[in-house]
Amino acid sequence: MRYDSITEAIGNTPLVRIDPAVHGLRNIDLYAKLEMLNPFGSVKDRPAWHMARPHLEADTDGEGTVVELSSGNTAKALALLAGMHGRGFKSVTNRMRVPEIKELLLLIGAEIEELPGRSECLDPTDTDDPLTQFHRALSDPGSTYLHTDQYFNPRNVEAHAEGTGPEIVKDLDGRVPDWFIACVGTAGSSTGVAKVLRELDPRVRVLGLVAHKSDFIPGIRTMDEVHEVGLFDPATYDTIESVTSDEAIDGMITLIRRCGLLSGPTGGAAYEGAVRQLRYADAELEGTGQRRTAVFIVCDRAESYLSYVRQRRPELLGRTDRGRSAVAVTDAEARAQGRVIDVQEARRWCAEGDPRPLVVDLRSPHAYAALHIEGSVNIVDEVFEDLLRGGLPFSKRTPVLLACPVGEKSLRFAAALTRMGHPDVRSLAGGIVAWRDAGAPLVRE
Amino acid sequence: MDAPLYLRPRVEPPLAALLADGPFLHSLADALGSPLNVLLPEAVAANAARFRAVYRRHRLTGRVYFAHKANRSSALLRRLAAEDPAAVGVDVASTEELRHALGCGFTGDRIMATGPKDAAFLWLAARVGATVNLDSPGELERLSALVRAHGLGRVAVLVRLSGFEHTTGNGGAGTRLLSRRSRFGTPVRDMEELLSALEHNADTLEFAGAAYHLDTTGVEEKARALEQCVLFMDECRARGLAPHALDIGGGFGVGYVAEAEDWERWTTALTEAVLGVRPPMTWRGHGYGLRNEGGTVRGATALYPAYRPTAGPGYLDEILSLPAPVLGRPAATLLLEHLHDLYIEPGRSLVDQCGLSLARVLDVRPADTDAGHHLVHLAMNAGDMSLEEHGVLVDPVLLPRDEAAAGDGEAVGVYLTGNLCLEGDLITRRLVFLPRLPQAGDLLAFANTAGYAMDFRAHHAQRQPVARTVAVERRGDTWRWCPDEDYWPITPLGGAVG
Repeated sequence: MRYDSITEAIGNTPLVRIDPAVHGLRNIDLYAKLEMLNPFGSVKDRPAWHMARPHLEADTDGEGTVVELSSGNTAKALALLAGMHGRGFKSVTNRMRVPEIKELLLLIGAEIEELPGRSECLDPTDTDDPLTQFHRALSDPGSTYLHTDQYFNPRNVEAHAEGTGPEIVKDLDGRVPDWFIACVGTAGSSTGVAKVLRELDPRVRVLGLVAHKSDFIPGIRTMDEVHEVGLFDPATYDTIESVTSDEAIDGMITLIRRCGLLSGPTGGAAYEGAVRQLRYADAELEGTGQRRTAVFIVCDRAESYLSYVRQRRPELLGRTDRGRSAVAVTDAEARAQGRVIDVQEARRWCAEGDPRPLVVDLRSPHAYAALHIEGSVNIVDEVFEDLLRGGLPFSKRTPVLLACPVGEKSLRFAAALTRMGHPDVRSLAGGIVAWRDAGAPLVRE
Repeated sequence: MDAPLYLRPRVEPPLAALLADGPFLHSLADALGSPLNVLLPEAVAANAARFRAVYRRHRLTGRVYFAHKANRSSALLRRLAAEDPAAVGVDVASTEELRHALGCGFTGDRIMATGPKDAAFLWLAARVGATVNLDSPGELERLSALVRAHGLGRVAVLVRLSGFEHTTGNGGAGTRLLSRRSRFGTPVRDMEELLSALEHNADTLEFAGAAYHLDTTGVEEKARALEQCVLFMDECRARGLAPHALDIGGGFGVGYVAEAEDWERWTTALTEAVLGVRPPMTWRGHGYGLRNEGGTVRGATALYPAYRPTAGPGYLDEILSLPAPVLGRPAATLLLEHLHDLYIEPGRSLVDQCGLSLARVLDVRPADTDAGHHLVHLAMNAGDMSLEEHGVLVDPVLLPRDEAAAGDGEAVGVYLTGNLCLEGDLITRRLVFLPRLPQAGDLLAFANTAGYAMDFRAHHAQRQPVARTVAVERRGDTWRWCPDEDYWPITPLGGAVG
């Protein structure tokens, strides 16, 4: 296939049947609409292009920044589209909760504005949420922002009513599925697809999935949050159910490990929510000889959610075993094997020792630069620990004085070095703090 | 009737035991009238110890300064004055608070003067050797002139900084973490003026360090401010100044509601009520900041996050453990490595679980006959118990006058109205569910009001009585009490009992 622009590759995504052996439904064919195969990686490519296109193709001499409230896929798609058209993109968001997505957005060249946290000392008369202020700023005269407004823009719904919905029907040979299952984020995909399906066959049942209130699934809103979405209309759905992040990850793992679908957690939530709901219907169909069809949306891919999975289910990502750390020393071992030296003795040792000790300051470079013991070298604890994995980083003939803020870390390192065979390592008792408190000199460069 | 939506208060041991002793609380209210504030001075000491434990865990030194404005009580201040002078101090925001702190036994060196300051406040703070938390270069010059003119000794000062989001070059290109604008402090970008003022006035002012206080629950914003201050202090050192302390202010928060589920169920119901899909659950359909625009909820709830999984010392621990955005090390490590003392100014969180407010039920009558709701008229007004004013929603505890007659009863939704002749005098605008309908003579106990909710907004309008405040202490099986002003942390309460 040959295209003049990557935007032509948006849409026409595959509809793939899930092996019944995986979901266990005996009378229902379950299909996944693979929106993750859109060129920018998600279902949001469609509305992003449909909403931004009139702005971007208008002749504005490259003026104006596209702006959207999004911390995920819409931002990603809009940032790429804006870049293609020589515009900037700014994402305004409460908090970027998935670090990979944030980094990806920065890589694409997006500007990210994170809104402040809630007020601690409340002013009850101040009920303007940051979003209201955001909208006010956008409507300032002279503002050159192009706001795509995904939560309220009817073109978001339209993109799916013209694309996603008809594609599903076409791939099912003109039949409307009996169930359509989608996670509710902006409500764009569920509303658009449901609209088309209902027009063709009012018997279709639409299941909307939201996140549990205290839970977080990327791209899905909670029951309360959906009410803040302009495009959300409860009448779109026959049922609204909630899913947990645990279920989302379970579903994601099933799709990845058993179906060859590299789905993210949102697709996992849709799968898990679909199967949970369809199980009852499947039982009722048993023995009637009837077959039914259901379609759910796989919204995006897995790669961006590794930290999300690591946070919730670290066992799924295995463990990286780097061998026993040199400083894996218990408190008792540190006390038994680490030698300490008090400030007064240490000062004498530094001045009159033969040879004089090498003083290693284990604090961060910035703190070291601010104030340190004259003649000391700075090896920050993390680096020092890495060094020790490779063996002794200095000669056994060089005596060493280790210093950290309060003498705790240095004692562990002293014990570790002693264990590695160094004959003369001592930890500065009480650390740099004790050194300062004793009035001993600290210098800065 | 709709299912009761509770917001059950979080009550921990000393306060829970006090609440369980209805007859004692009734006897107090009978003698001293309604409204009545009851304080547990021992609980404030326990909270200070919890904050200190976080310091110890991070090997940090420095003082915990109680933000006096949270409560006017003498008992709480005197109890804190009895703590280790090197560990606990007080933050005062007016001349009268300063005088009160001195009178309660705090020596000047344990006092931090903050907030807007007039000449008298500055003079007294300087005279007694308090640390002055300076808001602006102008205030710095005024203090310095005062010290010179009156031959006062050098005064220890902190400089309060603000405007951290405008600092550039750090925090990762492309990302901007916004913060609410503050009326206090000197913007970091104006630090040059501040630094030269500190240098010029080195003979009168001893520069002790930097300070900030951010009005946000967001730990990321606070971690950024903390790091910016460390960088600022580093710059000061480069110029020959010797700051040694960083004051990170307060705002550690309190969890008022015990169960996350209660809070979630209630806030969901509020959204639904605003949308009109369930009956109103507030007086006259008040939306607490939410509004319905064509079927979509707009606005933000003007509510304190009443359920908080981490608050107080736990929240401090969280800030200290958060990696700094530029230097990468946890905030506590940053402070420790740069040899800085940590000062904090907790108010609300230091008096968490330290008291309750009592109100007598005067009258009960039906409000909506269909819904079974009632109006409960209290001998107290919204100024006497101002949780609502601070956006805190939490249920009162019903203490029946006659335990025997209380019986099981049935949960009932009530509106709590105050004693002012004023439509707006509601103790809370939400429908409160009680386990049964109260009767005249019963008490309602509002738990955990010691932080800002007891006397911060109390007034004499309509010559209604202002609440008395008593200090109580558990001794063996009985409670002892004395008026707040008579409490000293030495004699057992209720006189010299053996």
